[in-house]
Amino acid sequence: MATTTATVGISSTDLQPGNTLGISASTTLYQTGTTTGMDLVDYGVGKLTQASGADALQEALGTADTSNYVYICNTSTNKDQYMVIGIHDTVIGNLGSEEWLFIPWNMGDADAEINIEAEASGSITYEYAIFKSTYTLPAKT
Amino acid sequence: MATTNATITINSDITSSPLSISKNMVLKKFQSTDGIDETTGLQTKKFAATTAVAIIINTEGTAAKASKVYIRNTGSDSAEFFYVALNENAAAAAETETIGKLYAGDWMLFPWAATANVTHNITVAPSTTDAMTLEYMVFQE
Repeated sequence: MATTTATVGISSTDLQPGNTLGISASTTLYQTGTTTGMDLVDYGVGKLTQASGADALQEALGTADTSNYVYICNTSTNKDQYMVIGIHDTVIGNLGSEEWLFIPWNMGDADAEINIEAEASGSITYEYAIFKSTYTLPAKT
Repeated sequence: MATTNATITINSDITSSPLSISKNMVLKKFQSTDGIDETTGLQTKKFAATTAVAIIINTEGTAAKASKVYIRNTGSDSAEFFYVALNENAAAAAETETIGKLYAGDWMLFPWAATANVTHNITVAPSTTDAMTLEYMVFQE
């Protein structure tokens, strides 16, 4: 059984005057509702162009309503370039240049794909890792 | 202008070659190099019912501006979780649009598109009537 840990630190000395911010949290990623570690992962690097519109980074092809985790990083250094991150038709938010996100993803139903879109121009390189409890490969065409 | 850093570290032995991700980001205003300078502060809320509750209201943010949201389930029971959703009134599995299930100890940090639409409230629903606690914080420009 594999062990995957995700740790975050958030700090600032001047966001809250008189109160230094220091958040630190760590979690072990388990399969749905268990203490069994994740053993499925997809990770890599991709390029996205504005012209391509929204594309599915990962289809919801695992068991619905399970435990999965998504990491995405917009590696662009151009401040004007951001990624629109969504689940199906719902926009979650805009991932600016050199920013990352980490979220749970339950694949609520077959339409709940993770989708990404490049804005405002040109090509964006992104990195991602998706840890999954279950997954079925897409059928061949 | 404040400087807020957020660092993620993911380590895993799922693959035969260990996976290691480490990335820092500065929380910036939308399409800017200036740091985000507003926050709600770290908030704590206790739950004892499975009723869905909007913990962050869309009007707390501003459309077309950068907002980041940190949420953590402080629990320790591996079977208990919160649904987290962008939804007006519920956070069940197949609702539009549930993001995922935040299990005990899990955390998430993500960009939030705080549009004027009420469905961009951030809503949570505990999986049990047992006492459960969330920590959350919004960073915004």
